[in-house]
Amino acid sequence: MNDIKDLENKIKKLNPKKTESDQNRQSSMGIAMRLSSEMVAAVFVASLIGYYLDKWLETKPFLLIFFFFLGAVTGILNVVRTSKMINKD
Amino acid sequence: MATNPMNQFEVYSIGPKIQLGNFDISFTNASLFMVLTVSLISIFFILATQKKSLVPNKIQLIAEMIYEFVSKMISDTAGKDARPYFPFILSLFLFVLVCNMIGMIPYSFTVTSHIIVTFAMALFVFVGVTIIGFAKHGVSYLKLFVPSGVPTVLLPLIVVIEIISYLSRPISLSVRLFANMMAGHTMLKVFGGFVVSLGILGGWLPLGFSIALTGLEILVAFLQAYVFAILTCIYLNDALHLHH
Repeated sequence: MNDIKDLENKIKKLNPKKTESDQNRQSSMGIAMRLSSEMVAAVFVASLIGYYLDKWLETKPFLLIFFFFLGAVTGILNVVRTSKMINKD
Repeated sequence: MATNPMNQFEVYSIGPKIQLGNFDISFTNASLFMVLTVSLISIFFILATQKKSLVPNKIQLIAEMIYEFVSKMISDTAGKDARPYFPFILSLFLFVLVCNMIGMIPYSFTVTSHIIVTFAMALFVFVGVTIIGFAKHGVSYLKLFVPSGVPTVLLPLIVVIEIISYLSRPISLSVRLFANMMAGHTMLKVFGGFVVSLGILGGWLPLGFSIALTGLEILVAFLQAYVFAILTCIYLNDALHLHH
């Protein structure tokens, strides 16, 4: 009985390292894809909002330009948040 | 033959043309593969849960592994409160996964390589999560857009940024899946075309590449289904537990 417990402890000591590195390698491409699409999506959505606000208020290019930069800011914020979340896991 | 790498994404109708008002709702190859996916999943689970023995056989073991995998994913990311949404997330995960995997079979059609399909799913998740958030927290769900500890001068700008960030969720969710699938399948087709055009002398290198890419694509197919499901869990977590 004691032998089995010893063995279990040994396995527990060995295992965590292995599984962790495995997981990291597997998902690094997923992380890259996640960050890039987060950035693009925010710029896209913000520009779209700017474009339609421009159409509605007849203030052509100004709101589009403003919202484009706001979208870039949001994209960077999203990327920072996502990477924080990934680091926490 | 179809040497154009984009030909594989063409949607064409099978059978009679059906018109409903202004919409063309005829049965297409995309619908065929969606039906195929759903029936494949259903048949698998019907077969797997038929015997329900205490010591599972192979097919039951696989079904149990899938169940436990998704169950663990939900409890890790969204906690206990997300339990009622388990059937939805399991079906979403399996649908995306099986669609991607069926797409890996030569001459088949990849449903998830069309942005309208992925966007429809992402929009469903987005609207659903928003409704859950409002049902659970009422108007105070809007606090999600007002982070605490921000100077009053900056508040209007921050609120707009938060709203853009919230609205960009379905776009990033759908574009990620669609772009991955479409890019991968186009690349496979391009390398396949190189094999044919370089012939027996020079075709070996692109052949090796396309074999390696096939392996990579299977990994991507699984990974993207996983990411889609886990992001749904994360958004659900935001809606269930308001913390800002």
